[in-house]
Amino acid sequence: MIEYDGIDNRMVLKLVYYGPALSGKTTNLLRLHDMVEQEGRGELTVLDTKDDRTIFFDLLPFFLTAPGGLKIKLKVFTVPGQVKHDATRKAVLQRADGVAFIADSQVSEETNNFESFRNLEDNLGFVGLDIEKIPLVVQFNKRDLGNIVAEDDIRRVWEQTGIPVFMSSAITGTGVMETFRELVKQTYDHIDRRYGLMEKHGLDKTAFVGKLTLPSP
Amino acid sequence: MLSDFPGAGIRGRANRKVTMKKEYIVGAEKSLGEIIKDIDLIPFFRSAVESGIPCVMLEDSRGDVLCHWGNPSGEGMITLRKPVYLEGEAAGYVVVRGDEPSRSRIEAAAELILNAVNTILRSSFKSVLATETHMAVVDQSYNELLETNRRLQLSEGRYRDLADTLEKQVHERTEELRQALATLLHQEKIASVGQLAAGVAHEINNPLGFIVSNLNTLNQYVSRFRDMLVLYRSAFENGEFTDENRALTRRKWGDYKLDFILPDAADLIRESLDGAERVRKIVADLKDFSHIDDGDRAGVDINREIDRTLNVLTHEIPGDAEIIRDYRPLPEFTCSPAHICQAFFNIILNALQTGKEGLKLIITTRYEKDFIRISFSDNGPGIPEEITNRIFEPFFTTKEVGKGTGMGLKVTYDIITSYGGTIEVKSVPGSGAAFGILLPVAKKENNVIREAV
Repeated sequence: MIEYDGIDNRMVLKLVYYGPALSGKTTNLLRLHDMVEQEGRGELTVLDTKDDRTIFFDLLPFFLTAPGGLKIKLKVFTVPGQVKHDATRKAVLQRADGVAFIADSQVSEETNNFESFRNLEDNLGFVGLDIEKIPLVVQFNKRDLGNIVAEDDIRRVWEQTGIPVFMSSAITGTGVMETFRELVKQTYDHIDRRYGLMEKHGLDKTAFVGKLTLPSP
Repeated sequence: MLSDFPGAGIRGRANRKVTMKKEYIVGAEKSLGEIIKDIDLIPFFRSAVESGIPCVMLEDSRGDVLCHWGNPSGEGMITLRKPVYLEGEAAGYVVVRGDEPSRSRIEAAAELILNAVNTILRSSFKSVLATETHMAVVDQSYNELLETNRRLQLSEGRYRDLADTLEKQVHERTEELRQALATLLHQEKIASVGQLAAGVAHEINNPLGFIVSNLNTLNQYVSRFRDMLVLYRSAFENGEFTDENRALTRRKWGDYKLDFILPDAADLIRESLDGAERVRKIVADLKDFSHIDDGDRAGVDINREIDRTLNVLTHEIPGDAEIIRDYRPLPEFTCSPAHICQAFFNIILNALQTGKEGLKLIITTRYEKDFIRISFSDNGPGIPEEITNRIFEPFFTTKEVGKGTGMGLKVTYDIITSYGGTIEVKSVPGSGAAFGILLPVAKKENNVIREAV
């Protein structure tokens, strides 16, 4: 959590889209930006890209106000996927409330996915977060491409981890909202346990998820 | 009008949060004042005022004025407020004031200024985010460096401690080893002395045995001589030798076999004297070899010392063995005679113990170019190639467990090198081994001779 201000009755949450280089993290946010009702979100800030590669991060903010008046701001970030930007990944990952791991479905990218996930584990540990506890979803992107790892194989591998897995094609928007919705659900549970979103602020899960994923007309 | 309100914008309390924060968290909330600087806005605001808009301001969400230009307190003026969005939220307002009659112009100006503010805000926002990320990364890298440095210092300290104690431990172990080696070398001396003693005992026992046996025989002879003398004395008691007495003494002479024992006694005495002389010589050889009477250092004739060593090893030389002494005159060599004999002893004993039938040991001595060259070459089984470079190592032995200490040649090596000499071995397995020793002859007294083992 970036910030919780009890006096101003304000809470700022951070979700991070993690994954190997060029797996489609920014594309996910672009689609999300298009899909979600404008009133509940801000503009997507794409920060310093070079040759279409993110070198800092992208930022898409969402807002909602709980029935009890608590203002919640949810900032969704991407990280730069290239190996050399590890320090930036650590910096962005700091105080994250949830992580969506965007994997590249192409067979050729299996090693990169693996390395990146291990890097996520390491860096979560580095910033003092527990991968067993933090809300986490996995998305296998680029299902529209040929030469991709079969869905059955992916599910067989990931089933045993208990982490929800989504198949997506961010470029067409398939699976983007599903991934985000699941991450937001888990994040609600996680925050609710510690801050009593329902009990103290009258905000239930359906309202929370519904507000953040309200589709644009 | 302008001079009444100099353009310097008033900064609000915008920086309050940032100065409190030590840690840069990517995504931390920012107020409008933390992102946009009045200096970026002033040129726009001034242009607007110069073009006839009475007053332009930027307020943050708390209503604090971040920047203003123009006169805010005109009579009967209208105020237009346009929200400025930051991360999708209204973070402040562009406030434009003007006369009611020119409302449409004020409206247009407000829209224009809002656009300018938004453009500046967007680029400033990106720049601030990038800077903060950069700062977070730098902080983190710096902290990692500090941590790395701390760990390095810690491990360096550990290594230093380790090095200190290691040195102490090495000293202790070295001392232990030195003592163990000294003990073993001492044992080697005792062992060779023991071996020598066993051989010498045998050598001495042999003559001693027949001397004792001869003396016993002589003892019996002497009692017969006494009886005979007593008989003659009584026979001549009265001054005349009667026929009776003559017969008695003749019979007795024959009974006592004096014709035989008289020459035999002479033989026994001569044999015994020979035996005693052999014992005397063995003892003298031992004394020569041990150099009990000599000082620590003396000028010695190496040839004589080799002979002395051979002398005490006589009992070890098999009957069919041949020792060839190919000596040339040598200059005096200054050393401890006992040590140099010990060195030769170990080499010669090894050759004698090869068990080779028809052993031939050639001992050559030469003096050439300030060096005494000594070689011991035998026709024994030789030394297997793989161990030739190990035979001078301590504890190295090919003898059965308990038979050899593995110190003999090590002692020789130490003695020879302590005089600045060298020793090497050449061996053709199956056809013998040759030990070559080079000893530098001291030129005057200027060569330092180290204490031998």
